[in-house]
Amino acid sequence: MNTQLIPSHPVLLTVEEATAMEQQTIKKHDVAIILLHWFNASVWLIELISGLALIVGAAYRVMPLWYVTMIDSALGSRANVLRVHVAIGLTWIIVFLVYGIFGYRNYLRREVLINEVGLDRDDFQWLRIRLLLLLGRTRESLPEQGAYNAGQKLFAFLVYSALPVIAFTGVIMSFHLFGTLVVGWAMVLHFVAVGMVVSGLMVHAYMGAVFPEERPAFFSMITGKVNELFAYKHHFKWWRQTKIEQRKWQEEFQNNDADRARH
Amino acid sequence: MARYAMVIKTERCVGCQSCTVACKSEWSVPNGFARTRVPEAGTRGTFPVLSTSFHVKQCNHCDRPTCVPACPSGATYQAEDGTVRIDRALCIGCGACVAACPYGARYIDPIAGKADKCDFCAPRREQGLAPACVLTCPAEAKIFGDLEDPSSDVYRLVYHEGARRIETAQVSIGPNVYYTGRADHLELQAASFAPVLPRTIAAGVVWSAFAKKLVMLVVGASFAGQAIAFFRQLAVGEKRFED
Repeated sequence: MNTQLIPSHPVLLTVEEATAMEQQTIKKHDVAIILLHWFNASVWLIELISGLALIVGAAYRVMPLWYVTMIDSALGSRANVLRVHVAIGLTWIIVFLVYGIFGYRNYLRREVLINEVGLDRDDFQWLRIRLLLLLGRTRESLPEQGAYNAGQKLFAFLVYSALPVIAFTGVIMSFHLFGTLVVGWAMVLHFVAVGMVVSGLMVHAYMGAVFPEERPAFFSMITGKVNELFAYKHHFKWWRQTKIEQRKWQEEFQNNDADRARH
Repeated sequence: MARYAMVIKTERCVGCQSCTVACKSEWSVPNGFARTRVPEAGTRGTFPVLSTSFHVKQCNHCDRPTCVPACPSGATYQAEDGTVRIDRALCIGCGACVAACPYGARYIDPIAGKADKCDFCAPRREQGLAPACVLTCPAEAKIFGDLEDPSSDVYRLVYHEGARRIETAQVSIGPNVYYTGRADHLELQAASFAPVLPRTIAAGVVWSAFAKKLVMLVVGASFAGQAIAFFRQLAVGEKRFED
């Protein structure tokens, strides 16, 4: 296979190249993942709104009492708030179990995870420079990134570790399992795990929806595609990988053409 | 609104446990637990002139209940009639209220996995019936009524006949179960069944001392970081083309 023309590191692009690349799109997300992402986002929104209204005791409450009563009244009663919270939480667990079972080979295999979210040396550099850039403290350029940048990878780690904790503790509280001691600690773990994810989620939502440089990544969660220029600039390693695969795919057609010419 | 209370006439109580049985049967209380029970308080006097008394233990529906603020989910609450109630739909079974009750009136129902205790027979009251224990007591030692009704027996006993609360200097949360009887017996009961200091479960301590602060700090820091980035974005403006 001829990979000669695919640069191994980013090179300066000409106007024509950049304009052409901006018109081209490459696929980033499968439809199933897009659906799962927005399902997950909706669940988080509902669960956070209802969950905050379920922490009522004076020593525990994080929201003001008016918020709690407002949500209670909106749904008719506090028991309804809990019903919604538990029903949606259990649905979320079931959906993710289905994803885990059926999507394992495509999305969760060890090799896939290492390729997509494994942190390497470039990632640590990226984190440092990204932070300094945000603060306007450096002019260094960001190192090459794979399909996901180091920030996204860190968020993935946070989510992957918090998700089972949130699910297990939620089930324990919903069904009053293993006695008072376990239920009491489940309460604390549920809260802390959610709190950690929310702190990351805020950055995730800001970077996705507000931060201008990542705008194409946000739309990729709707269309499944990103323009090639964005991929080249922000996810060079992934762009290269994709180009190599594309080249392979094109060569197959070239072989077909050659076959047809012969007959 | 009413202000329900109960007066236990210990001079009438013979410790027959009819109330205990009536309550358990009325509310299907699981084996090993009781919403009300009648322990023996001990003897007083010198031989051969000895006498004993019985103490009735149950939820006191306190004026300033310690179990209500202790409940994380808001399942335990004080109703408008002054009684302390549990909304079982909200209880998650963490046991915080059991630890917080100075009178040991609460338990976790092992079948439902939720907190339970006396509610002055709320469902019976709604039907205009007296609490099961009151109706059952063969000696009429349990008097139930409304403290805001001057014609009620409890009003007379509490405000005119010196029925007393079981409280200590440390734990004074306004229990609404009052006791009458011989002074020496009541003293012994007040000493033997004195309220203990309310406890907070370890998870609750960690929640308010550590977890809540940690979460607020981390989420707050994350929010502040983005606010800074957003203000920068406002100041710098957005590019129209990729460089």
